[in-house]
Amino acid sequence: MTRRLTQVGVAFLVIYGLLFFRLEIVQVLNANNLRDHPQNSREITLVFDKPRGSIRTADGEIVAQTVAVSSKQKRLRQYPYGPLYSHVGGFISAENGGSGLERTHNTFLAGEDLGVRIQDNRDLFIDRARTGQIEISIRHDIQLITRAAMAGHVGAAVVIDPASGSVLGLWSGPGFDPNHLSSHDLTAATTDYGVLLSDPEQPLLNRAEFQGREMGSLFTIVTAAAAIEQKLSGFVVPPSQAVTPVDDSSVITHTDGVCGGNVASLMLTGCFPGWAILGEEIGRPTLNDVSQRLGLSGTGPIRLQGSPKGVSQVARLDVSASHAAIGTGLEATPLQVAHLFATVANGGSRMQPRVVEKVLAHDGKVLQEFDPKVLRQSISKETAAELRELLAQNVSHGTAQDLSISGMEVGGMVASQFLDNHVWAVVIAPVTLPEVVVAVLLEHDSFDDHQTAGANVAAITRRITEAVLRLSSSNVGGS
Amino acid sequence: MNNQRIVELTLLLLAAFITIATVVIAAVGEGVAIGWDAVPYLVGLLTLWAISHLALRRWAPTSNGLLFPISALLQGLGFAFMLRIDPDSAARHFGWSLAATCGFLLVLAGLRDLALLQKAPAYIGTFGFLFLIIPAIFTTNSQQTVGSQVFDLGPVHLAPQQLGILCLVVFFAVWLTNYRFRNTAEHLGEIERLDGDPSRFLPLVSGWLATSIIIIFQCDMSLAFVTFAVFVSMWWVAVGRMVDLTIYLVAVGGSIAIAFGSITELQNRFAAWVDPWSNAEFGAAITRSSFALAGGGLTGTGPGGGSADWVPAATDQFAFVPIAEELGFIGGVAILSSYLLLVGIGLRLATAARREFDSLLATGITIFFGSQAWAAIAVALRLLPPTGSSLPFVAFNGSVLVTCNLALVLLLRISEAVPFISDRTQVLPQVTLPARGGK
Repeated sequence: MTRRLTQVGVAFLVIYGLLFFRLEIVQVLNANNLRDHPQNSREITLVFDKPRGSIRTADGEIVAQTVAVSSKQKRLRQYPYGPLYSHVGGFISAENGGSGLERTHNTFLAGEDLGVRIQDNRDLFIDRARTGQIEISIRHDIQLITRAAMAGHVGAAVVIDPASGSVLGLWSGPGFDPNHLSSHDLTAATTDYGVLLSDPEQPLLNRAEFQGREMGSLFTIVTAAAAIEQKLSGFVVPPSQAVTPVDDSSVITHTDGVCGGNVASLMLTGCFPGWAILGEEIGRPTLNDVSQRLGLSGTGPIRLQGSPKGVSQVARLDVSASHAAIGTGLEATPLQVAHLFATVANGGSRMQPRVVEKVLAHDGKVLQEFDPKVLRQSISKETAAELRELLAQNVSHGTAQDLSISGMEVGGMVASQFLDNHVWAVVIAPVTLPEVVVAVLLEHDSFDDHQTAGANVAAITRRITEAVLRLSSSNVGGS
Repeated sequence: MNNQRIVELTLLLLAAFITIATVVIAAVGEGVAIGWDAVPYLVGLLTLWAISHLALRRWAPTSNGLLFPISALLQGLGFAFMLRIDPDSAARHFGWSLAATCGFLLVLAGLRDLALLQKAPAYIGTFGFLFLIIPAIFTTNSQQTVGSQVFDLGPVHLAPQQLGILCLVVFFAVWLTNYRFRNTAEHLGEIERLDGDPSRFLPLVSGWLATSIIIIFQCDMSLAFVTFAVFVSMWWVAVGRMVDLTIYLVAVGGSIAIAFGSITELQNRFAAWVDPWSNAEFGAAITRSSFALAGGGLTGTGPGGGSADWVPAATDQFAFVPIAEELGFIGGVAILSSYLLLVGIGLRLATAARREFDSLLATGITIFFGSQAWAAIAVALRLLPPTGSSLPFVAFNGSVLVTCNLALVLLLRISEAVPFISDRTQVLPQVTLPARGGK
């Protein structure tokens, strides 16, 4: 009996050993992974009613601030402009975590970052609440313009300064009012959160940054870049109406009769069969290489705050060269599209898009500055100049004539993907000395016919561009 | 005076210090709502300990001096964390502590000789079985997110299954003692072994039935695990036939397989266990406790600094989570070690007990504590599918606290009858003992 008692004891020692081991894994060995897990809203929940710095726009408007209130919790997070910055600033809530900058820059705002907490030597010994403020590159006036232009539409618009990569305006519609989620009335906040979650139009989704959509003919700018690099810009495609790709995938057709010609005329006529033939001439490896250099494939989608950990979404060009050349199956977010055209506008030098410019101490001292960062020289200056010329022609007498602005030469493209029910438009303005790039995506608008949908998105894009350029022609780019 | 009682007093003072320190540190932290009104409860809890200690001096002076302080430490930590997480229920928790202490005193004073238990095994067994299956028949409050089945009587939650298991432990101890007396090789010698006697399957069949009922009708894997562990270890200690054990394990495995094949809720829980990240029903409790534990890290956030409001059921089923989060991996290990120490002492008592009944009862109660704690912690650590199992002594789950205290008295009573242990070895008990027949 004693022997068997010992066996029972050993068995318990073993299963308790399992617990020790498992506890060590969860709390020590694997703890960092768990702390950075995308679903982990513990940190942000913990600091919900703690002191918290404000978020300001480049022109000094307050996106989010914490105010003192006389209730059980002493502080309340407020968003003075309500839904205007819903996807940039995000929200913070007691029970449903947070999003946007509130979440990604939580350590700065809550003062948990060491650089914020310890500003001089005395702070090592005195434990007092230090919070950091964040200044973002978004301009309040541009954000207002963007939202006004997008009113009533589902989609996203991004205004970006090509020289620095700063995002000047970023609207994703429909938005939501973060004040409802940060409320101290927890039941109401949770109900609102549930309503937002179940809304089919997904107001919580930051479409500009996280919603990938098929690029369609926008991708032909990449094909054109590849063609120029391969010295194929003079290559003349014989007039054709329909092309069957070599791998027998779906036939690529042109709606208005036959088309063909060199790269410029393909661009001006929106000639899908022609691009497909040119794409086969260029070959998929080259197309893939160029799109990788431009940040479209081979890596995860570009993000304002860097890619979230633990999520790998690598975009690939894995259709045939003919389909790849016209952007079939390659998805990009509005931010990525803006980024792509900003690279072209910036002479082929790819800038990291950014929204956070500075972290300040609560007395206004600059603690950390995020300077413009060149990712790489994706294409040569000459190629970029030729591409801009193509885009300018495209607006003056090509497929994007709806984008033309009087008194200024701009370049741009309009693309419609009717199968997937969305339309794109991009503008580089002015095309000779680019100041802004505006990218707009509209989703499932009531598309009665192609013309109206294209005209709609072009009108919105033009309206944003005109208003932004009119604001202050002197210094839109800020930095 | 008696050494055991001096050891007990010293350790009780230490436990009191740890409890008070935890409460004080948590109270000065920002955002924790412990006020001065917590002081009477704390004083009351310490008074209850003092009364229990005096009662032990009076009625069981030679019983083991480590058991009560360990339980007191766990209870004190549970109380401290309950104060920090949910100060409003302090009165209720204190009420249960009072009830538990009353039960402790009653059994301590009333049951001077454990042989009394051996006289009425049929009643105890019937009660135990009834308590165990009542929740399966009258489900009044079915399935909160991570709850076990409990009776809601106004403010009072009753979970009679634990008491049922305790009764069954006593019953099995009596039954197995008689069985050993009649049947086993250790008593009869190899030649007369009654391997052919079909009655030897009786305990196996009933154990299998109990486990299966819990799995199939209550969907409570933790409770099933406790029943299974208690039964198997007692039976193994008493009988120890490899062939029978194998048959039994296969049968239990079959029940589990059938249950998983047919019951959606079990499948849900299992799915939540495998992939908690995308499971809306049970996932949040597991992922949040993992995140909270990871947030605590090696040294913890300090009492009051954790996210206990955010972890579901942080005072009951997941009581281990806030403790390990705020006291860190080190604190978690301390809790685990406390239970392991409890198991060690219990099994040591089982080997040293003079009578077989005492020995089997000690085994059963020890495994009852050990497996319950194991199951509760394993759920929080995602080692078992999510079910409701309360951490003995720590969890804010009144009736469980009472049951655990009753079991503790029985263990203390057994320790009193254990032969004298010399001073030198009382903290690390020796394992050798006079041979008592057999191998």
